[in-house]
Amino acid sequence: MSQERKKRWVMVVDPDKCIDCKACDVACKRENKIDAGTDRQVYRNWITSKGVEGTFPHLKQRFEPSQCQHCDNPPCVKVCPTSASYQTPEGLVAIDYKRCIVCATCILACPYDARFKSPQTKVIDKCTFCAHRIAQGKLPACVDTCPTKVRVFGDLNDPDSEVSRLLARHHYYVLKPEKGTKPSLFYLS
Amino acid sequence: MNTLTINGKLINSRGDLAWLLTTGVLCLIGLVGLANYLIQGHDAYNIYRQVPWGILISTYIFFVVSSTGLCLVSSLGHVFGIKQFEVIGKRAIAMAIITLLSGFAVIAAEIGYPFRMLIYNILTPNLAAAIWWMGTLYGLYLVFILLEFRFMIKVNHKWAGYLGLAGFIAGVAAHSNLGAVFGYLDARPWWHGPFLPIYFILSAAVTGCAIILLLYAVRYAREEMPVRISETLVSISRLFAMLLGILLFFEAWKVLTSVYGGAPGKYEAMMILLSGPLSWSFWGFEILLGMLLPFILLLATGGRNLKVATWAALSSMIGIFFMRYNLVVTGQLVPLRSDVDAVGASGLLSYTPSLTEIAIVLGGMGLCLLLYILAGRFFNLDADNH
Repeated sequence: MSQERKKRWVMVVDPDKCIDCKACDVACKRENKIDAGTDRQVYRNWITSKGVEGTFPHLKQRFEPSQCQHCDNPPCVKVCPTSASYQTPEGLVAIDYKRCIVCATCILACPYDARFKSPQTKVIDKCTFCAHRIAQGKLPACVDTCPTKVRVFGDLNDPDSEVSRLLARHHYYVLKPEKGTKPSLFYLS
Repeated sequence: MNTLTINGKLINSRGDLAWLLTTGVLCLIGLVGLANYLIQGHDAYNIYRQVPWGILISTYIFFVVSSTGLCLVSSLGHVFGIKQFEVIGKRAIAMAIITLLSGFAVIAAEIGYPFRMLIYNILTPNLAAAIWWMGTLYGLYLVFILLEFRFMIKVNHKWAGYLGLAGFIAGVAAHSNLGAVFGYLDARPWWHGPFLPIYFILSAAVTGCAIILLLYAVRYAREEMPVRISETLVSISRLFAMLLGILLFFEAWKVLTSVYGGAPGKYEAMMILLSGPLSWSFWGFEILLGMLLPFILLLATGGRNLKVATWAALSSMIGIFFMRYNLVVTGQLVPLRSDVDAVGASGLLSYTPSLTEIAIVLGGMGLCLLLYILAGRFFNLDADNH
């Protein structure tokens, strides 16, 4: 094939493996030079505690790591007046920081609370799937660092990729499917 | 005292001086707030990740709703040809320009990069974004009403009419797009839907009536009001009463549909206003002062008593200011994720404006008064005698 097949980057998350160590949060901040300082609202990814399930002594604590869903139908891109938020051909939702006017409408349009104003760049920021690392053939920092391999990253358009095989073999769900956003984060169930 | 002049006109009464002093103090407070914002940036505001829109957004809405409302009511005269309303045209359009500029000033202190917006709105417009349409249409609207005012001053009724029509269309389009900024957001069930674009137009018309009543009460505070003006104002106060009645009807159905099925997001937001942290603002200001009290006052007097109508208008304007605040803030207080740090024991987010934000709001009011005082000094805002 002379022409390279179009890629669709997605992430498959196995929440049962998450131990809430927050290495993903730390790796993301270090890789993307995010200095939250004392501001607890500055983060690109997060882990939601789903609470304790079961009755003693058969208890289970569940966590659900999350971040920008890189939606196939992203509401944040639609509402951006200056086209600062856009979609790449490979399905990433990206921000052209120099065009961002910080009207914050994208923050409100995102059903996942994935966006925030960066204390460093002073414009709206969010997970980029570490696009700069993907370009070098590397994995996103959060995927690379995860000790229990909760996150698997890959090309959904490649039937032999690990993400394709995982989704073919397992039941999975997406977050807030009723919002019609078609997320690129798939959670194994 | 008699040596103080603006544009060669003496400031010759205690009333004038009191207005000027109030305006000066408000502008000064606003400048202090602005200086603090320029030094500290958004850190000077109490907005944060989950509640990025605060009182400056709601005050912007308050101002631009006022502008659209004034345009709507004044267009009854020189666009829709109801002769009686022509006498209020010039003053209403002057105030429409002034409230729009005041709104722009307030939002310029909220948007991170207002000048970048002007550039990239043109270079890389996103035609799917309601904010793009709102900004662009309000820009056009400003041009139209500025020209309309110019033709009114030159007593060119034909062109004032054409531009009035253009301003009317641009104003309604811009203002409904402002409603769509909220209405398009599927992520926020309480805002989402066609209600807000429609409701914004209706509440604009209510605001327009109230402001005109207030402007004329001040204009003729110390002299006899000409009969044709008072007759027009009686019509406006009746229109005001009717629109308030419709607004109450809209509000009732918004409340009922929000709580009826207990749908997630919608229900919790409505309950913030009905019995939650903002219930004082909802029942005390939005409902009682904003709608119910003025409605009752106007019905009781049949709209004929202009003194009562003025009090009704003042009450309504205070209530409407809080109505905008309730709309903007409540829509954000239901968290999209339950375990974020900012969520309190109630399961809700919270927001209280910072002193800097309040100072800029007061500055916006000051700017509005200042521009109106200047407009009155530089232009004859009274109707021409013909």
